[in-house]
Amino acid sequence: MATVAPGVPTGPYHAVLDHIHPEPTSFIRKYVFSIDAKVIGIQYMITGGIFFVIAGLLAEIIRTQLLSPHGAILSAATYNSVYSMHGSAMVWFVVIPLLTGAFGNFVMPMQIGARDVAFPWLNLVAFWIFPVAGVILFSSFLVGAPDAGWTEYPPISLQGPPGTNLWCIAVFLIGISSTMTGINFLVTIYKMRAPGMTFTRMPLFVWAQFATTPLLFIATTALGAALAALFIERVFGVPFYDPKRGGSPVLWQHMFWFYSHPAVYIMIIPGFGIISEVLPTFARKPIFGYKMIAFSSVAISLLSFSVWAHHMFTSGMVPWLQLPFMIITMVIAIPTGVKIFSWMATLWGGSINWKTPLLYATGFLITFTYGGLTGFFLAAVPLDYHEHGTYFVVAHFHYVLYGGSIMSLFAGIYYWWPKMTGRMYNEKLGQLQFWLTFIGFNATFTPMHWLGLLGMPRRVATYDPQFQFWNQFASISSYVMALGTVLFFYILFDSIRNGKKSGPNPWGARTLEWMVSSPPPYYNFKKIPAVLAAPYDFGNPLPYLGLEAAPGATEATPTSASHPVPTY
Amino acid sequence: MAQRVVKPKTNLGPGFWPVTAFIAVLSAVMVYLVETSPLPIGLIQAGAPADSIDALFRFLGAVAAVIFNIVVIYTIYFGIVFARPKGAPPNTIGVQIHDAPVLEFWWTAIPTILVVILSIYSVKIWADLQNSQGDVLTVEAIGYQFGFQFRYPKVKGLVNEMHLPLNTPTTIHVTSRDVIHGFWIPELRMKADMVPGLINTIRVTPTVPGTYHIICSEFCGVAHSAMDQKMVIESQQAFAKWFARQAGGSGSSGGGGTAIAIDKGHADAGQKLFGQKCSACHSVGPFDQKQVGPGLGKIFNDPAHPKLVNGDAPTPQNVAKIIQSGFQGDMGVMPSAQVNQLSNPDIANLVAYLASLSKK
Ligand code: HEC
Ligand code: HEM
Ligand SMILES: [Cu+2]
Ligand SMILES: [Cu+2]
Repeated sequence: MATVAPGVPTGPYHAVLDHIHPEPTSFIRKYVFSIDAKVIGIQYMITGGIFFVIAGLLAEIIRTQLLSPHGAILSAATYNSVYSMHGSAMVWFVVIPLLTGAFGNFVMPMQIGARDVAFPWLNLVAFWIFPVAGVILFSSFLVGAPDAGWTEYPPISLQGPPGTNLWCIAVFLIGISSTMTGINFLVTIYKMRAPGMTFTRMPLFVWAQFATTPLLFIATTALGAALAALFIERVFGVPFYDPKRGGSPVLWQHMFWFYSHPAVYIMIIPGFGIISEVLPTFARKPIFGYKMIAFSSVAISLLSFSVWAHHMFTSGMVPWLQLPFMIITMVIAIPTGVKIFSWMATLWGGSINWKTPLLYATGFLITFTYGGLTGFFLAAVPLDYHEHGTYFVVAHFHYVLYGGSIMSLFAGIYYWWPKMTGRMYNEKLGQLQFWLTFIGFNATFTPMHWLGLLGMPRRVATYDPQFQFWNQFASISSYVMALGTVLFFYILFDSIRNGKKSGPNPWGARTLEWMVSSPPPYYNFKKIPAVLAAPYDFGNPLPYLGLEAAPGATEATPTSASHPVPTY
Repeated sequence: MAQRVVKPKTNLGPGFWPVTAFIAVLSAVMVYLVETSPLPIGLIQAGAPADSIDALFRFLGAVAAVIFNIVVIYTIYFGIVFARPKGAPPNTIGVQIHDAPVLEFWWTAIPTILVVILSIYSVKIWADLQNSQGDVLTVEAIGYQFGFQFRYPKVKGLVNEMHLPLNTPTTIHVTSRDVIHGFWIPELRMKADMVPGLINTIRVTPTVPGTYHIICSEFCGVAHSAMDQKMVIESQQAFAKWFARQAGGSGSSGGGGTAIAIDKGHADAGQKLFGQKCSACHSVGPFDQKQVGPGLGKIFNDPAHPKLVNGDAPTPQNVAKIIQSGFQGDMGVMPSAQVNQLSNPDIANLVAYLASLSKK
């Protein structure tokens, strides 16, 4: 066992801390313009939750429209705006802020034994950009919301309604916010780990956030440039993209996907991190293949910069260029596969405690694998010629985005809910909620695979009547999913009002955030603990020194040291 | 605490091998079904390259089925047999195993090999497509909001319908007149984006006669959903006849451009067409008697609606223009003549018919 790094604090620090960062007393400084990463995390959570509801309602409107091949409720023009806003909101205003801003802020500093992020004021600014940008985005409904999809390909987006300008501004702003968060997290993780927390002792959620940071601040800059040019072209008529005046529409696609492919990993790597925390806690054994999981996140993150043109196989590029993009895309499947097998092996030999977070983690495992496999079908260039721009793509990315990112978010919320609120949720209802979501989700999106293969293009307000049955099937299933979401919010409200007190560590987890009270105190740690080992060795004493252990945070011990394997 | 070294072979869990055997059998059955299915995606193959693309689909489908079975069945199985028994103390722990280098080596190596094989196979099919024969016939396809037009060698002007002769390697150059469209024929499994200012090329060799669809697969504006046009694959003789007609009829119908001889329309022919093509969406009552679109019975002299839905005055030319180009307004999509498969004389007949209604 490595020795404790020098500089482990020993004395009581409150006095000094009180001097530097007195806990604010006014409501505004405490809950509105707070610089406490935990409060900011929860602010992200609430704001993102509100946008999730709005974007989810838009999704149900989409599905309702498609109940009839002639379009059940909306004109095509309105429908186009509805799905464009649904996609934009879900990507930029729900999944990215929730996985980075919300969980990154609430959990990551505690997990590395820090009191806050490196730049608390930057954090505050980054958060407040988010609701402002969201309001700008949704106010585009008042002037004519963008209608060319979340990808807004020119030249059609140059002709789009005035709200497209607001869309540019909103996405640009949220990009700035992401960039700030990325730099903040990178510095925090690099510089502010507790003494003794070497890189290989970091919890895997921290590794995941770490691997995400370069995506946040490198890829987002390309998007910012592309958006600025689109805005300038729309407002001042400078032709960047309009081919009639010497612009290049494909240029936008390159810039957009240079951001947006890495962005799909912004939307999934932190989810990998959540799953990697939930699985060991509920299987009650170390994560299998810690190093492989940690390094594969970094590998995925770096590789993801060189695959963007797999979204453009039909757009027009030198044919041979399709090959490296195809092959690198396929190569990403290797580190992803390693993760999936490691998670399965984590379940093996466990003493599995089936609670809602674990249900979501295994649900994630299954649906994400499915989405990854259909990704292969899209990566193979000749197949993509058939599938591109169809409902098959819609099915694929909902399997990775809903089945991957959103399921991991559900897992994370159930898992850390007691830490955030100090209260338990209703476990029975939680499990029911999982099944509604899981079944509803699969029934909604599976049929879209064959709808696309059989000839239904995406982004259509009306469709060939031969596709009606499966569209209605999908629409009705999506109402089951919606029911699950309603139940989810009920469970949260019910927990706040009636939930049992959870105590600091209801799951018997071993990472640092569970070593402090629930909800955590303002400073997280009165004394910064020293870290002696990676966190996942169930049965060993806790690897932390100098913790002022929260009452009740005792560690589980093996029932029988000689025979810890479940009996069978 | 010293780490327990678990020897996986002896202690994998109850029923591990039967479950593994089940996965193997199920996977074998699925691979067999996928590999032997003549139409793995359930859509007919109207010609090359549909066959080789379906072959790639089969191969990927087989690999994906095996991987998916392994992940799902083992996950569920582990979840069941390693579930903490009811009543076990909450601090029971699992096997404290951190890794198994040999296992990890193999589950990295095997996917790597699979990726190599899949890449090679995909590259091979890709290369076949690149090198496939075209050029016996070359057609240019031009997308516009909202339809497709075609240029054939030796035919002056553009034609509104695509016909392809059987067993003829054909090169299709696609481009666009306005925004980006997609050119997709599902039965040929082929697609290319129609990008203004760029020419993309696909090669096909049709083998099964029939009427198929060209579908726009790239969002292109309000009536994108309606941008779905018939195309015909026919015997070489039939094609030759059709082609001669196009080449003969000098400067054949040119999209929104050519004038429509409105005064030459016949109301009775128009009435028949209206019953076939329009009555699904339009009544012959007044404007307010709406179905999908407005009633058209008084379109030329309705004091309550002195203008057409696009704001133009209700002249025969303007009505013809709507029927020709289609229109998208608050009510919905009025499909274009391409979509409704109307020739210019058809449009003249329809206008004559609508005019006769308004006179009543
Ligand atoms: C799929 C349904 C549909 C079909 C089929 C259809 N239309 Fe329409 N049509 C519409 C809709 C919807 C509108 C109104 C568009 C709007 O303003 O939103 C319309 C508008 C029109 C108008 C303009 C009416 C006005 O008062 O300005 C004319 C003329 C017209 N259609 C003629 C025809 C003819 C002729 C046919 C048959 C060849 C036809 N339509 C077939 C849906 C259809
Ligand atoms: C990990 C999480 C993933 C997310 C969030 C994600 C998301 C998306 C999204 C949103 C699209 C739609 C693009 C469009 O609008 O046309 C897409 C398409 C695509 N995805 Fe993924 N994806 C993920 C994983 C994968 C994987 C693992 C692969 C391959 C192994 C893959 C390969 C592709 C390809 C090739 C396309 C292009 C399809 C096309 O445009 O025709 N993706 N993905
Ligand atoms: Cu991508
Ligand atoms: Cu289109």
